[in-house]
Amino acid sequence: MTEERYPINIWVNEERYEKLKAAGLADLCEEMLAGMKVIRVYADEAQKNEILRRFPTAKFDSATTKSIELLPREVKDRIFHKVVEKKSVEILGEFLEED
Amino acid sequence: MAEIGHGGKEIRERILAPEEAAAKVRGLPRIPVRSQIANEIIDIAYGWFCPLEGFMGQEDVEAVCSRMRLKDGTVWSIPILFDLSQEEVAEHGIKVGDSLCLTYHDQPMAILEVEEIFTYDKGAMCQAIYGTTEEKHPGCARTYGYKDVFLAGPVTLVNRPVINPPFEPYFIPPLEMRKRFREKGWQRIVAHQTRNVPHTGHEWLMKGAWLQTYAELPIEKPLVGVLVNAIIGEKRKGDYIDEAIILTQDELKKAGYFGDHNHMTSLTFWDMRYAGPKEAVFHAILRTNLGLTHHMFGRDHAGVGTYYGPYDAHRLLATVQDELSITPVYSMNWLYCPHCGEITSEGLCNHRDEWQKFSGTVIRSIVQDGVKPPRLIFRPEVFELVLECAEKYGFGSPFVTDEYLAKRTPVFTIPPLQA
Repeated sequence: MTEERYPINIWVNEERYEKLKAAGLADLCEEMLAGMKVIRVYADEAQKNEILRRFPTAKFDSATTKSIELLPREVKDRIFHKVVEKKSVEILGEFLEED
Repeated sequence: MAEIGHGGKEIRERILAPEEAAAKVRGLPRIPVRSQIANEIIDIAYGWFCPLEGFMGQEDVEAVCSRMRLKDGTVWSIPILFDLSQEEVAEHGIKVGDSLCLTYHDQPMAILEVEEIFTYDKGAMCQAIYGTTEEKHPGCARTYGYKDVFLAGPVTLVNRPVINPPFEPYFIPPLEMRKRFREKGWQRIVAHQTRNVPHTGHEWLMKGAWLQTYAELPIEKPLVGVLVNAIIGEKRKGDYIDEAIILTQDELKKAGYFGDHNHMTSLTFWDMRYAGPKEAVFHAILRTNLGLTHHMFGRDHAGVGTYYGPYDAHRLLATVQDELSITPVYSMNWLYCPHCGEITSEGLCNHRDEWQKFSGTVIRSIVQDGVKPPRLIFRPEVFELVLECAEKYGFGSPFVTDEYLAKRTPVFTIPPLQA
């Protein structure tokens, strides 16, 4: 059985889209709400719990989207920069180790 | 003309004239109150809590807990309590028959005539009202936080609160509200309870409720209004700031998504108990006193976590419907359907596999990221105003932070009493 994974939704405006395009990741963008683009970085159960512990304002939306929401903007910015730097969305383990 | 409120009782403001107030409070023991109690004093004095004239006595509390009624049989679902510690009672020598001057931020606010002093089992109260005794339920936490002794008796305001900007236009007490409804010519008014900045899912909840409420009435002139009644009370970190809530709700009208002919925004001071079904009944009572004829209830109204089923509130309301003077309007969720290319109701659209549901948390996450959402989801005027409120009132954030809690301008202050 595959382990459950929980997305962090990083909302993508034009500026972010250009950076993702340059990193070859534009195809990973999905449309989530009325055409609004999002790129998803996934956490496993342990990483999800660690994120919720480390950033108390964050919330797991168990009711609707099963995603980790309300991370501080600067944390999301740093996650986004890590995605672009590593040209991958599989960066959460490294991000948590470095943070 | 007498204004009749909940339970068939006339709404009468309990407010002393300024020329009487100073003499009445002179020499009385001064008891400071916290914001929750100050909010409830305002609610009692202006008639939001009609037929209550003061804080509840033991028989009323017992009846509310056991039968969801006051001792006289009037439907009532949440205890309204004034608490003190044994030490405070002893220190001031408070006894039945005394009058106390209740102060807020050191200014005289109200007189409490003590008719009864009693204790009550807080665990039993939690079980009766919230259906649980768990401390993690915010209503239980508030109940366990009460001090040990309760004082009951009538309350009279001696000093009207000064409502600070930007809230002052939205403080419309029951008697004034009813006057405004008459001036507008509205025959039916439906309440939208909120603690949120509106996304289009909320906007359509209101529009749907307006259509439901309009029903068979003639359409030659506007006869139905939506009253957005924002609950203003204790804030938790991560909530939207109060200023953003009240101003963006009003912005829906100002920007033309509604108009003066069908929409008004106001506030009620109340610290949410998250009592789910019991709180739904309580909200129905508050809005009856404000003069509303209809009240919108969605899924899990005023609930928290998984304590209540999504339609428990609807079922409880049905048991007392004949005794309430307000008609419930039940609302299905609104969502975005990419196939339809529009906001639609889950009761209408059948592209179920394509539905993109609104999640308040996800919307807040978009706002937090500062990425402008499409107008189908979040009106641009509302989004711009949220950002403006963050700068003007929120110390850079549209959400409550420690800094906001410490430094914000209070919604109301009590001025010095005129000599």
